[in-house]
Amino acid sequence: MASTPIIEIRQLTKRYHQSDEPAVKKLDLKIGKGEIFGLLGPNGAGKTTTISILCSQINADEGDIFVDGKNLAADSVQIKKIIGVVPQEIALYQKLTAYENLRFFGNMYGLKGEDLKERIMSRAAAFGLEQKLHRKVNTFSGGMKRRVNLVAGILHRPRILILDEPTVGIDVQSKNVIIDYLKQLNEKEETTIVYTSHLMEEAERFCTHIAILDMGKIVTEGKPEELISGYPSCNNLEDIFLLLTGRSLRD
Amino acid sequence: MWLKFKASVIKESLLLLRDKAGLAMLFIMPMALILIMSLLQESTLKKLEERNTPVLVINNDHDSLGAHIVAGLNETEFFELHQTIDGKPLNVQQLKKLVTNGKYRVGIVIGEGASNALRNKIKYEIQQQFPPEEGALFSPPPDPDKPLPKIDVYFDPITQSAFKQAVMSALNEFFYAVEAKMVMEIYASMMNDIIGIELKQMADFKNMIDLTEKTSVGKEEKVIIPKPAQHNVPAWTIFAMFFIVIPLAGNIIKERESGMSLRLRTLPGSNLSVILGKAGVYFVVGMLQAASMLLLGMYILPLFGMAALTVGPGLPALMIITIAISLAATGYGILIGTVSTTQEQSSIFGSISVVILAALGGIWVPIFMMTETMVKISKLSPLNWGLNAYYDIFLRNEPVSGILHYALYLLAFALSCILAAWFYNRYKNSR
Repeated sequence: MASTPIIEIRQLTKRYHQSDEPAVKKLDLKIGKGEIFGLLGPNGAGKTTTISILCSQINADEGDIFVDGKNLAADSVQIKKIIGVVPQEIALYQKLTAYENLRFFGNMYGLKGEDLKERIMSRAAAFGLEQKLHRKVNTFSGGMKRRVNLVAGILHRPRILILDEPTVGIDVQSKNVIIDYLKQLNEKEETTIVYTSHLMEEAERFCTHIAILDMGKIVTEGKPEELISGYPSCNNLEDIFLLLTGRSLRD
Repeated sequence: MWLKFKASVIKESLLLLRDKAGLAMLFIMPMALILIMSLLQESTLKKLEERNTPVLVINNDHDSLGAHIVAGLNETEFFELHQTIDGKPLNVQQLKKLVTNGKYRVGIVIGEGASNALRNKIKYEIQQQFPPEEGALFSPPPDPDKPLPKIDVYFDPITQSAFKQAVMSALNEFFYAVEAKMVMEIYASMMNDIIGIELKQMADFKNMIDLTEKTSVGKEEKVIIPKPAQHNVPAWTIFAMFFIVIPLAGNIIKERESGMSLRLRTLPGSNLSVILGKAGVYFVVGMLQAASMLLLGMYILPLFGMAALTVGPGLPALMIITIAISLAATGYGILIGTVSTTQEQSSIFGSISVVILAALGGIWVPIFMMTETMVKISKLSPLNWGLNAYYDIFLRNEPVSGILHYALYLLAFALSCILAAWFYNRYKNSR
């Protein structure tokens, strides 16, 4: 990892009440500034737990997370201001219009007035939503909902964007629009992106750095091309994934 | 903080306004409940006050007691006497059948020789007042073993106990008057025998006391006839206000199920302003519910022939207690929404718990009809605190100082619920 780490995870451990094994076991991870970091792994590998702790949705049992040099446990309010989160669920108010949802999230980040309006309009235009902003979300297609879900997480121009399976269950067109926009965001606004997915091909094309998790631990990490060249028997990321995590069902 | 609170209020208001079924449940259902319950209670009271209740009477006495009872019953507007059916005199079997099958609600059978039995009993009691050396006062002397005068009253089996009590009270009133008259007649006859003066008959043994129903209200004392609206509207208003628990808890669970509450946790700053925004909207809804129901009592109930609800001078006290009730209901809704895991769970637990708290609190059954233990338990229900305060305002004209303790109990309840929800949430998130 060449660039300066913007996120540093040290010895992170999380054990759920009803589970014998920890979901995350003494995990160490560094995510460089301006990277598109793919956190991959089979179901139950610990991806969502790691991301949830990083987003302050749940607390860690042990370990520390430093974001932009600040300890998450001590400075969560300041850290939350520079993080944007796009959850896997369509976490929007279905009976509100897209505009009302985005205005709500903008206000939650302290944005208001013309500035907020301009941000909503420009982000909506980038995702082809400008004509549908005043329609209720429950009338939208899956792809449109996912795009609004994404816009809600980037209105405040976060320095770090955390995306949990942002392209799951949508058509190719919507997927391309989302991935292209995220690449632009990464290039133009230097946003560091932390991304989880089960789509190996998409991750291989999209990410600048990848870590594969299994049983709560990192089993490999590196740039996609370095990973592929490091495993001569593998042609692509999916081959590496199956080689390292096995072919048996996990849930 | 203010911007987040404002955004939360706008969001909750829009969600609520777009939920037509939820709005109907919050406003139309409680108003319909008050209207229906008031109409039902009004009709029950009217039944109790009903004039000319048809009564079957068989007078087998054919003497003064029977004659007095029949004359007395005929005089009152309460009963309409029937001594024959199709022009033929009734027998006991017919009377029982007609009452049992509900054609008549009351049947009275005055036993044979009832007057003689009563005279015997009175004479016996008078004789007991004199020392034994005075000898027999009456000839023939009264028989101590003679059975008491017998009067049987039959009721239609479906007759409510309140109506039975009203009829029995009315009958007792006649019996006491007849008894008193007979005692006086016997004493008069004794006076005639002893001193040779024939006393004139007393005309009436009724209305010898000025009995007026009054209610003392604060320092004043005036004649007040409490109307059903004064009882019904406050009780059902509190009940309906607490039903806000269901939409509020449902809203919290829906937010959790959609992943929204997790997303809100990723936002900078405390979520307190978001929760306060939600609570604020539901608090205002509770206040609007109360206002709509009280206005219904004041202006809509009279359109249905019922007496209007009168607020009187207790408006500041009314405002304070309504605010406290609305806060208590909102706090309870937040707690139910936090501890329930599904919407089904919250709606079942929320509604049943409100019904239980209402039953305990005296909304369904008046407190004075409860056993001592139940009265003690009822004091634990926040609905009871609200109801007592409303009754103090509407029926006793209590000022703010008179209901302040109830307002404080309700506020403490609201705060306890919110704190319990907060601790529960913290405990759950730490697992």
